[in-house]
Amino acid sequence: MAKELTQKAAWDRVLAKLKKNSLWMLHYCTGCGAIELPPTMTARYDMERFGIMPMVTPRQADILLITGYLSVKTLKRVILVYEQMQAPKYVVGFGSCTINGGMYWDSYSTIKSLDQYLPVEMYLAGCMPRPEAIIKGFSWLIDRVGKGEANSWRDYYENYEFYRKNQEELFGGPIQSYQDIPADAQKFGILEARQ
Amino acid sequence: MLTSMLLILPLAGFLTSLAAAWIVPASSKARASGAVQKIIAGIGFAALFVFAFLAKSEIGTGYLGIPLFGLWLNFGLTQLSWYFVAMVAGISLVTVLFSLQGLRDDGRYPFYYIWLFSKTFGMLGVLLSADMLTFFIMWEVMSWCTYFLLQQGHEKAKRAGAGYLVYAVTAGMILLAGLLYVYFNVGSFDFRTIQKAFSGFGAGRIIVAMLLVLVPMLIEAAAYPVHWWLPSAYANAETGISAYLAAISTRIGIYGMTMFLFAGFGLTALNLVTANKYVSANEVLMIIGAFTMVVPTFTALFQHDAKELMTWHSIGQGGYMIVGIASSTTLGIAGGLFHVFNHMTYVSLILFSIAAVEYRTGTTNLNKLGGLIKKQPVAYLGLLFGIIGLAGIPPMNGFVSKWLIYRALILSGHPFIALAAFIATLGTILSVYKLIHNMFLGQLPERYNDIKEVGWGMRLPIIFMMAVVWLTGAFPGTVLAVVADIQQSLGLERVAYSVHGVAAEMGQLNMLVINIVFIGGLFVSWLIYLAGGKRKHIGQYDNYAAGHFLDKSIPYNYNYNFYAGMEHIFERLLHKPPVKRAEQALATFVSGTSEYVCRIFTGNITTYSAYVVAAVVVILLVLGGGR
Amino acid sequence: MSVLSIVVWIIAYPLIIFCIGVLLGGYERKFSARVERRIGPSWIQPFYDVIKLMSKKTNVSHGYMHDVAILMLLGGTMLTLYFVPVPGFSYFSQFGDFLVISYLLLIPSLGMALGVGETANPNGSIGISRALQMLAGYEVPFILTFIGVAMKEQTTSMLDIIRVQQAGGFWAWGLIAHPLLGVAALIALQGMLNEKPFEVIVAPHEIATGPMTEMGGKYLGIMFIQHLIAVPLELTLYINLFLGGASNWLEYLVKLFVLWTALISVNMVFGRFRVDSAVKFMWKISLPLAALGVIGIMLNIA
Ligand code: SF4
Repeated sequence: MAKELTQKAAWDRVLAKLKKNSLWMLHYCTGCGAIELPPTMTARYDMERFGIMPMVTPRQADILLITGYLSVKTLKRVILVYEQMQAPKYVVGFGSCTINGGMYWDSYSTIKSLDQYLPVEMYLAGCMPRPEAIIKGFSWLIDRVGKGEANSWRDYYENYEFYRKNQEELFGGPIQSYQDIPADAQKFGILEARQ
Repeated sequence: MLTSMLLILPLAGFLTSLAAAWIVPASSKARASGAVQKIIAGIGFAALFVFAFLAKSEIGTGYLGIPLFGLWLNFGLTQLSWYFVAMVAGISLVTVLFSLQGLRDDGRYPFYYIWLFSKTFGMLGVLLSADMLTFFIMWEVMSWCTYFLLQQGHEKAKRAGAGYLVYAVTAGMILLAGLLYVYFNVGSFDFRTIQKAFSGFGAGRIIVAMLLVLVPMLIEAAAYPVHWWLPSAYANAETGISAYLAAISTRIGIYGMTMFLFAGFGLTALNLVTANKYVSANEVLMIIGAFTMVVPTFTALFQHDAKELMTWHSIGQGGYMIVGIASSTTLGIAGGLFHVFNHMTYVSLILFSIAAVEYRTGTTNLNKLGGLIKKQPVAYLGLLFGIIGLAGIPPMNGFVSKWLIYRALILSGHPFIALAAFIATLGTILSVYKLIHNMFLGQLPERYNDIKEVGWGMRLPIIFMMAVVWLTGAFPGTVLAVVADIQQSLGLERVAYSVHGVAAEMGQLNMLVINIVFIGGLFVSWLIYLAGGKRKHIGQYDNYAAGHFLDKSIPYNYNYNFYAGMEHIFERLLHKPPVKRAEQALATFVSGTSEYVCRIFTGNITTYSAYVVAAVVVILLVLGGGR
Repeated sequence: MSVLSIVVWIIAYPLIIFCIGVLLGGYERKFSARVERRIGPSWIQPFYDVIKLMSKKTNVSHGYMHDVAILMLLGGTMLTLYFVPVPGFSYFSQFGDFLVISYLLLIPSLGMALGVGETANPNGSIGISRALQMLAGYEVPFILTFIGVAMKEQTTSMLDIIRVQQAGGFWAWGLIAHPLLGVAALIALQGMLNEKPFEVIVAPHEIATGPMTEMGGKYLGIMFIQHLIAVPLELTLYINLFLGGASNWLEYLVKLFVLWTALISVNMVFGRFRVDSAVKFMWKISLPLAALGVIGIMLNIA
């Protein structure tokens, strides 16, 4: 048994090393920070050299990039999109707005802290963060994925009540969702894989 | 003996079920009457099937003569006609079995089985005719039976049936002219005498005779410029009937064509015509065939009704047979004849599946259906196997015959006809995908949420035809053996077949290897698939809509105007199809100028029957007197 | 060939082609990156992508057809692969000629079309509609070029066509002997490989990657594997028909990369056609070229 586990662990380690070279990103560009992404992707900073590519639909993506402030209405969409993504999936909060509300800290219609509603893997501070910061942040994320430490997505399955409670409080009632997260956690064996 | 049973059985079935319809009052016990009809039909067609296969032993020897007004109607069984007889018997049995449940007992089709018997009788009569006069008379009988079969049901079907009649009568008249032309030139209706006489004739007379007999055959086979009767006629018939007609009835024209080309007038006559340096007869036929393949197939692309789409394909597939047979090469003839069988299997399969959907949803409108795969998986699989066959994709049987035809065309130096065949195949793929997508894939409309799969009475015929389509694809040699015998009996070279394909000396095709490698490929893919993580099935509303919540109130589907790009390309052609316009002009002219022509279409069956009887009697008297 | 070597080849062949596909795919991305003055990803980036996709923890599908379709996609491609001769391995080519191959190539398309249809996403359906229209666009000239070659050599077998070209040396190569056919097929090949200007199917900005819209995890992974096999497969078809086949693996690889470079260079400098324009381009430019070539061959034979 112990041997099997170590074999599996070794295999996971190899996989993680390979997986870190390919991260596809779905950018949710409602905030102003999105303007920093084109230079990050194109010749000047060339994000693709890390294997990071923009993708179009949530099914294909690994990273959900939230570029800035989220109004309550758009958060609903973000949650839908996040739940449609395939695990492992990483939420990246981009810009101060996602961290503490940023310059919208006293707005009635935006959310203040993204990690209350979705499991955030990494924040990129700044208003807005420069491409250098983005590249730096992504390198850090890649390292974490390579070490198998980027596990924030498990949190959503494990502490779903917490997120669900926050979401419902914010929206003021039960929310619309296609997914049955606890059942999924059972089905895909996400909870026991943790031990 | 067995041969005569082939004619007696359907006739007896016809009379018995007609009598049953008289005896059992339709008004009060419509259901009981239906049951009686079903039993008679089931037994009758099952017996016919058995006899058709037993009759194989009588090929070349079976003979039946019926005296009629001092003339003899001669019937006999040849290798070629047995092939078609077997197909007629087989497909009519499957159709009847399907109809037992597939036809609702709502009294809309009180004469369904009766006309089915009569139609089968007509077709078998044509197939068994051993001389030209018999052929003509049975041809007329068959046309009228087709008409009666077609004009059941709603008003549209009646009108379409009348449309068919115009073409059928025209075909009959031309055939009569051909008959008389041959008779006055040769002095006999017997094919052997005709052959002997024709081998001494010049090309001119042969060409005239050929034209006069081939044109009716092409009309019946719905070849390109004379195909307009078919779509509306078949698409408005009951779906079981459409399946039956599209599968085999139209192909009687192909039988007639093959028979007259290779057997009727003899190979010497044929060679004389084909050897012509400037316009060789078979190239003309091949060009007709090429148009028949391409034009209807691309017309099918833009249909919005499943049955109509399929009937256009039924025309288009006829083009392959015409091209193959007209190519006059060993491979081509084998391909053409084999294609008749393949086409019969997959077209009936497709139409059965459509019928299964129509049975539950009540519509065949491609813009209204969708997502039914979750509700009717068997019908879906039936349609899937059928369209793979129709598109001629391995491993189904349609591929083998198409392969033979392509190879024949390429090697005999007809690159552009081969290209036409390929273009038609591509058009087929496009339109059959539209068919299966709009019916079974995409979003399931809310109103179909609680429909169920059809009963086993309809499922089993579908499953059986699926098996046939696949197995004759994996082992085409089973059918090619018969085809090779036909070629031999016609005095042509036999196609070199093996059980699972075509033997090396005539190319290289091994369907069994293709099947095995395919299954192997699927297996390896399955292993790769298993290597990935677990999967979960999700509902149709959990879907990418750029962050929008989908529910039943939102139609989120793409099926209307499915090939917008193609429509754009063919825009000008589509909206003014030249043949249709010419036909309409003709129809306006005819109905405008002649009161009498209008009066034919009174919709009164007695008038029609009177016409038939009168026509047949007059012809018989004239000819009988002549003798 | 001995039974053992056939078995070894059967196992090794798809793997080798997959590796070549990975290199070709990585090369394409590196190449376009260098053209755009970027550094670009790793040379084996497609391999990482596949591994990443296959090791996704959760996968969703819209039903059994969606699952089976993905198998049909890959299985059909592997089936086709075995019938395409490469240097050293042509065992299965004796059971099916080029006509078989061109039809087998339709199985993956059909499989994908069915699976995408079941995902019930209009973007996917539009993508398939476009894919099939493109199919009608490029297959017509491509098959006509093949018909021309086959008519010239009086055979439909790929092995025979390669043999004729290799016997005649450089001047017997299809591209040299029938340049019109060669060029027409080259244009068609560009469409077949879904490279610009014929890249209408995926179109991320219009229809959310079309057929791939609802594909994620291992479903997308298998689609990627299929793509990586299909690219060298289709290039090999062209090499066998028009570039004299190959007598050894070095020659084969060189031809593969040269041809691929030519195609992706064209890809780099074009935008995208609209679907009907793409089809029209095929039918108006490529098809007449092929037709002229075929007429030339007919006149030569007569
Ligand atoms: S963090 Fe700054 S740049 Fe980003 S969305 Fe907020 S205000 Fe805009």
